[in-house]
Amino acid sequence: MKPPAFDYIAAGSLDEALTALAEGGEDAKVLAGGQSLIPLLSLRLAYPSLLVDVNRVDELSTIERTNGTLRIGSMVRHRTAERSKVIADAVPLITAVMPYIGHVAIRSRGTIGGSIAHADPAAELPAVALALDATINVRSAARGERSIAAADFFDGYFTTTIEPDEIVTSIDFPVAAPGTGVAVEEVARRHGDFAMVGAVAAVGPDGTARIALINVAEKPVRATEAEAAFATGASVDDVAAAATRDLDPSGDLHASPAYRKKVAGVCVKRALAKAREGAAK
Amino acid sequence: MTATQQPMAQRFVGESVKRSEDKRILTGTGNYVDDVQLPGMLHAAFLRSPFAHAHITSIDVSAARQVEGVVAVHDGASMQGLLAETAQPPGIFGPAPVKFTLLASDKVRLVGDPVAVVVATSRYIAEDALQLIDVEYDELPPIATVEHALDESRPAIFEDLGSNVVTGPRTNTHGDVDGAFARADRIVTANIKVHRHQNVPMECRGVVADFDTDSQTLTIHGSNQGVGIAKMVLTGQLGMPPDTIRVLCGDIGGSFGLKIGTGREEIATAALSKAIGRPVKWIEDRNEHLAFSGQAREETLDVEAAVTNEGDILGLKVSMIVDTGAYPGMGAMLGGMVENMMPGPYSLEGLEFTFRAVTTNKATYVAYRGPWASETFCRERIVDMVAKELGMEPLEVRRRNIAFQGDNPGKMVTGRTLKSATARESLEKIAELVDLPSFRKRQAEARQQGKHLGIGMATYIEAAPGPRADGGGGLGNEAMRMRLDDDGIVRVFTAQMPHGQSHETTLAQIAAEEFGVPMEMVKVVVGDSDQVPFGFTGGSRSATMAGGAALVNARALREKVLEETANQLEAAVEDLEIVDGKVGVRGVPAKAKALAEIATTATAAGTALEVSQAFDGGQGGWSGGTHCAIVEVDVETGLVDIERYIVVEDCGKLINPAVVDGQVRGGVAQGIGAVLLEKSAYDPDSGQFLAGTFMDYLLPTTTEVPRIETHHLETVPLDPDVNFRGVGEGGMVVSPATLCNAIEDALSPFAVKIEEQHLPPLRILELIGALDD
Amino acid sequence: MNVELTVNGEARSAHDVEPRKTLADFLREDLGLTGTHLGCEHGVCGACTVIVDGDAVRSCLMLAVQANRAEIRTIEGLGTPDDMNPLQESMRDSHAFQCGFCTPGFMMQITALLEENPSPTEDEVRETLSGNICRCTGYESIINGVLKAVGA
Repeated sequence: MKPPAFDYIAAGSLDEALTALAEGGEDAKVLAGGQSLIPLLSLRLAYPSLLVDVNRVDELSTIERTNGTLRIGSMVRHRTAERSKVIADAVPLITAVMPYIGHVAIRSRGTIGGSIAHADPAAELPAVALALDATINVRSAARGERSIAAADFFDGYFTTTIEPDEIVTSIDFPVAAPGTGVAVEEVARRHGDFAMVGAVAAVGPDGTARIALINVAEKPVRATEAEAAFATGASVDDVAAAATRDLDPSGDLHASPAYRKKVAGVCVKRALAKAREGAAK
Repeated sequence: MTATQQPMAQRFVGESVKRSEDKRILTGTGNYVDDVQLPGMLHAAFLRSPFAHAHITSIDVSAARQVEGVVAVHDGASMQGLLAETAQPPGIFGPAPVKFTLLASDKVRLVGDPVAVVVATSRYIAEDALQLIDVEYDELPPIATVEHALDESRPAIFEDLGSNVVTGPRTNTHGDVDGAFARADRIVTANIKVHRHQNVPMECRGVVADFDTDSQTLTIHGSNQGVGIAKMVLTGQLGMPPDTIRVLCGDIGGSFGLKIGTGREEIATAALSKAIGRPVKWIEDRNEHLAFSGQAREETLDVEAAVTNEGDILGLKVSMIVDTGAYPGMGAMLGGMVENMMPGPYSLEGLEFTFRAVTTNKATYVAYRGPWASETFCRERIVDMVAKELGMEPLEVRRRNIAFQGDNPGKMVTGRTLKSATARESLEKIAELVDLPSFRKRQAEARQQGKHLGIGMATYIEAAPGPRADGGGGLGNEAMRMRLDDDGIVRVFTAQMPHGQSHETTLAQIAAEEFGVPMEMVKVVVGDSDQVPFGFTGGSRSATMAGGAALVNARALREKVLEETANQLEAAVEDLEIVDGKVGVRGVPAKAKALAEIATTATAAGTALEVSQAFDGGQGGWSGGTHCAIVEVDVETGLVDIERYIVVEDCGKLINPAVVDGQVRGGVAQGIGAVLLEKSAYDPDSGQFLAGTFMDYLLPTTTEVPRIETHHLETVPLDPDVNFRGVGEGGMVVSPATLCNAIEDALSPFAVKIEEQHLPPLRILELIGALDD
Repeated sequence: MNVELTVNGEARSAHDVEPRKTLADFLREDLGLTGTHLGCEHGVCGACTVIVDGDAVRSCLMLAVQANRAEIRTIEGLGTPDDMNPLQESMRDSHAFQCGFCTPGFMMQITALLEENPSPTEDEVRETLSGNICRCTGYESIINGVLKAVGA
């Protein structure tokens, strides 16, 4: 299982990366952590003409909290994020999902930006970005910087609204209000596996909830009806029902559509219970 | 102290002696087949069918040949030309009973069937070239399920077989089946389904074939369970005289039965080396491995149990069908093995056993740790079903049915004596360790809280090697040579080919203790067909057969060495002792001679200090035990947590307790994998293989395998000398039933009857009706 | 491309390294360090785990060219058959492994773990090692070896 041939450039700066990407054309791809891309290459499921390696672009690795926003550079490694007190303080939901992302060695290389740009609906960070109304900042050589709201970013299986010549530079998350409780509830075959189905939840001190679902559709799903039900004080079962009522998940080797639909509700229930508990502290 | 006793012989047997293997294993200095790098070595890669069943209408390798770095490309037809004219299609233990070419040429019979091979200067380049081979396929209706195989309107996978039924139906009867069923108060029935899963050692298959044109000899660096078997296969396939082929195996990264045979790719690689005149390496990748290397266990058993209201299981009628996959493996042999072991340690009066084997477009059925295991799964599940129907504790039904020992041990209704089987003892020990009444209380309380705990147990016996029949016979022979070399080292030449079993340590323990030297002065030689006797590792035979051979040979060698020493020193044999690697007259340690000196002097005089005794298994004996699991099932997600897992096992005298524990725990882990995680899944319509990576074929990790408590009975010496019995397969044989019994017990409020072995979360929710709306 | 790096404290280099060559293959073939094993080549089994700039990394999920100027540690750097390090001795004492194929990945992941957390609990050990697959042992002997090494 050896990768096919490709051209390669190790960019030393963001500008260098953007130029190379633009010149590389449609089949040029960004190489970030490589934990999702390199297996695809080894399995010969992807044939990029050029890999633009951004691992040495230091300007993409910063974590900055300014007023009510936490900006995480796209090349911040999962392991760095996992250990970051700044993140734990500002956006505790990110810290909460980190242990579920693969395993330690994957997190050594994998990146926050890479995970979000890869847009696997079974991954945790896209759901977190959606739940928290994050903003994804991207840049191209030709058009400069623009920002995309998470709700407009995820477009389908492994598909986003990024243009082929754009690179994700950072993601902005709103800083959580003090007294916010967060929770992740996912059901996976084994620890560290992609979730068969899951929910992330943040319950604010004002009694409102933000809920997003993992692996129930071709992209992460914001459970807006469930959030509305939660805000009016509906029972946990009713909130869960609202979250799953309109779901039409697909099936695979591990879970059927009926399983996903049913257990998504269980995940919402359990996540809300945990998040509420955390908020009450 | 008598004249022949030696002072304070060092005891190694029974100690968890540290492994000699570990010095290289732990430092990355092992020698696995992919570590072999030879000058001028080339790399092979195989093009494989994307279809389950199809004719190959054309194949064009010309573009692949043009790739820089490619040395050779062969399709099925040209590969046949590289083999001996007399070469037969290879089966698992000899020629296959059907016709096919080594690489598929006229048709492909499963996804992954090799149709062409590229040899290039690197595996990367070889894979590039594969993509330029143009194959046209004409798809045929797939035989993707047993139902398809029985459907006569579908085409035969092997035209010369005529249908897709390989064997049977054939029915055998043992004991008084009619009587048992006539006397029964009720019949308990079940349709037991064991799913397809597979060995998955961490090291895939592979070979480096090194043909030397000058000497016209072939050296094979392999990863096989018996170098002699690989050599035998290759002499036949290549038409080369046996003394021109040498098979070497270094370290092997696990096998669990898979690597007993020599794969078609390994034969092809050898043929390619011979044709090209350079070393050629083929290392199977994980995708090829999961799809093609071999699979096991897909068996369905329809059972009727004749039962009294008091819980006696009088008789069984079993109808078994096995899906042997495409290409002949060991599937057709399964019937006899399962039939003979079906009664287990129970006093059954009658057994009727019907067997059928079918071929399908799936990977070949290979030996997987305890190939006959479905007999234990089936029987132990039936016991629990009987218990449930009668409102009895499964433990009580087992107690009631396990054959008595004592002066008149029972006999399996299929003929074998149960002498030395300690199923009853292991069952009672489990009962002692578990405190069933207090568990039932805790279970009831937990149910009030919506928590679903369950307990399950299962008991088994295993012919490792099994007791010698009254009147002798039946255990086979294990060859071994042992020699005191001029360097003073006792070399043990064994046919065993360790792949995790620690034979280099355990056989040295036995030899060192019996001969009377420190472990460092014994070296176990494995994996060279020029040096070791013919044989293989498998069937959990090594503890008894090779352990016994080590003991008798060490004893014989010691006698020979003492006689030679007596000659050299002009002393009486009874006055000699071996201490710390030196031999001399008792009480005169200063005049003791190093064993190396004795050996060198003997060699100079033309005396070889070598013995070569085959061991016939002595009295043999059963291995076996009882396992128990306590689980919790999350009925909202279907996830199963194993709270406690206890093993009581009996493999006689433990050579190395840590090694035994490792074998048991590894086997149980595979059982956990089978029940909760592993499935070699095929699409039932197209025959497309669905579990080709480790993201779909799931192996248990540290978070799925709990601590496993082990207890060893070490009972019932049958033989004055050799009471080591095999333990390699038992853990895997009985753990699936143990877990399924526990899960069914946990789900009893839902009145679920579990008839299958694979219980992932989806299946559990389906079974309890949670997905019905 | 040129690749210059440090492996087990020694400066190593190679020329004409194809960008597509994985770090695992580079270590094994170009540098002759066959201690690191390939169990799956798609980043799941962990047998290929090495330490790159202090972090445990799956070498099958890194390109050799990405390791330019990096400090790599592999199993060959822990100790030799006649001079094993304390972790290796503990693993030997505990009969941690059987066939040995998964061993290099485990040893490097454990080494990385203990450098970050010298006294992990059993749960922490299980969590960290859940990304390394062993088919022989059922893991208990491996965990015992780690706990022995940390004096637990």
